Amino acid sequence: MVITAASTVETVRNTFPQAIVETIDFRGEQTLILEPASLVEVCSFLQKDLQYTFLETITAVDWPERVPRFDVVYQLLSIPHQCFLRLKVRVGQRKEKYPVVPSVTGVWPGANWYEREVYDLFGLIFEGHPDLRRLLMPHDWTTHPLRKDYPLSGFDLPEPHWGGQVPYTVDPGVGELYNQTLRTSESRGLNEHRSQINSGQEPGTSPALPAEDKDNL
Amino acid sequence: MKQKEINNIDPHAIDIEKVYTIEESRPLGDGRRSDTMTINMGPQHPSTHGVLRLILTIEGETVVKAIPDIGYLHTGIEKTAESKSYHQAVVLTDRMDYLACLNNNLAYALSVERLLGIEDQINDKIKFTRVILAELQRIASHLVFLGSSALDLGAQSVFLYCFREREVILDIFEYISGVRMMTSYICPGGLQADLPPKFEQMVRDFLAYFPPRLQEYHALLTNNQLWLERTRGIGILSKEDAIAYGASGPTLRGSGFVWDTRKAFPYSGYEQFDFDIPVGNNGDVFDRYLVRMLEMEESLKIIRQAVDGLPAGRFRVTDNKVAPPPKWQITGNMEALIHHFKLYTEGYRPPKGESYLRTESPKGELAFYIVSDGGPNPYRMHVRGGSFANLQVLPRMIEGNFLSDVVAAIGSIDIVLGEVDR
Repeated sequence: MVITAASTVETVRNTFPQAIVETIDFRGEQTLILEPASLVEVCSFLQKDLQYTFLETITAVDWPERVPRFDVVYQLLSIPHQCFLRLKVRVGQRKEKYPVVPSVTGVWPGANWYEREVYDLFGLIFEGHPDLRRLLMPHDWTTHPLRKDYPLSGFDLPEPHWGGQVPYTVDPGVGELYNQTLRTSESRGLNEHRSQINSGQEPGTSPALPAEDKDNL
Repeated sequence: MKQKEINNIDPHAIDIEKVYTIEESRPLGDGRRSDTMTINMGPQHPSTHGVLRLILTIEGETVVKAIPDIGYLHTGIEKTAESKSYHQAVVLTDRMDYLACLNNNLAYALSVERLLGIEDQINDKIKFTRVILAELQRIASHLVFLGSSALDLGAQSVFLYCFREREVILDIFEYISGVRMMTSYICPGGLQADLPPKFEQMVRDFLAYFPPRLQEYHALLTNNQLWLERTRGIGILSKEDAIAYGASGPTLRGSGFVWDTRKAFPYSGYEQFDFDIPVGNNGDVFDRYLVRMLEMEESLKIIRQAVDGLPAGRFRVTDNKVAPPPKWQITGNMEALIHHFKLYTEGYRPPKGESYLRTESPKGELAFYIVSDGGPNPYRMHVRGGSFANLQVLPRMIEGNFLSDVVAAIGSIDIVLGEVDR
């Protein structure tokens, strides 16, 4: 039996009629949007019965104005049948700070790092993941940089901090602070000011040495 | 657990130190006990090929557990791309896998072209040039792999020879684009500039120059008893693990899987060339080494066919909404001036949608997932790099092996941390 992406969509539609939210065909790429509750069920069906054995990547897309807010995107590949498919689930209701997605590490062990990366950069919690830790950002980082409300050009600390440790507890990623610090002209001035006073010491480095210590080195 | 309860858990309170210290002692039977020790390898270590940190639990000389720790080179390229226009984001792609810049450019350009729907406007001249450059870059990348992994195992001279040959390839890149490494030469809609006149001759010179050198490497390593002892039966990755963990490229083929994206989903005209897929048997370090050595020969075959068939033609698509018009038109043609201005101030706006196009980079499967919301900047750009998945499978290769073989295994998966961390 020849399996293609289009026939896979049909098979899933017939087998799990309640699981499908929407199907999209754009530029020859099939996308299947699923209910989060039936994600693991459909994934193990695809992996076992239709031989989508290769999970290429998991990522997420943030649509802040939309409810549900996040798309979690899975790219699958079937090596025996030479076809590919994209799965999506939509999660994140209003006021839900850390939306929950079921983990597919039980289906594809390789999902481990991809889910950790999505947790790290988007703050989505993968339920059932064996070891959900940050992957790319420092482990004591507090926010999730790939969310759209995370500022692009750094953030202001609450007070001048030269000579001291950067307080990691400052939360730069939440909307209000972002609007205060980056959207107003006043804060742009603050940013420039900060870059002047801080030349020579970036956040996260140890304080600059006094002049006499430099001579001794 | 209910959804509400999980939402109340602070995910930042997960204790990572608990995962990192795995100290236990095991009775040996004669009254003594064997202790395990946890050590750091990296992030500053000459054989981790960048800033990879491995947390190794060892018992004597044997690795019991290995945890790769990455993120030391995280530069937020995916976030940065969201604020650049599609054309500006090309230069970001160079800086991910910095040993295979042109392959990254190619993958990005193809993905954006599919998003724009201009795939069928790309003529054969553009396609063939892209193939020649991508294959030259593949040879250059494999040469760095060969040199550095041999250096890790103590064969110093190979490193110097490999970089000598790589220099010839970088000279070609410098000649066509003015830059040796971060060329950004392949861009959505074609190439940045037309090929200079001596390009074809330089490639032909390289095709004559390189095969004897490749034989030298085989003579130096492939039948070298020391090399065989250090690589055969070491760092074995089974077929099942390779597929389950999403390993790709030479790491997957070394484990015996016949899978090459250039054959399975041909892009940029690869279906017009005749080449083979080298495959290993055992999935050990030696097989991965040999697959790359044979791939260089296949790349030479592809380049030879592409240079012979290189047609004349435009180096950019004629659609001026995507590619700028020629300079001479701008001074005499109002419309060309407007197009030029619009392209360099705002850029182009692909329709709403998303594209994901797989390519075969030297490190593995490289794909760009680009989401467009109809604006001039990519709404989201995600990179699926081969190194990331190949690094994830590293613990499966080295657990149970000796500490000194960890170096061989890291060398054999050929990771670039710029692509892992992005």
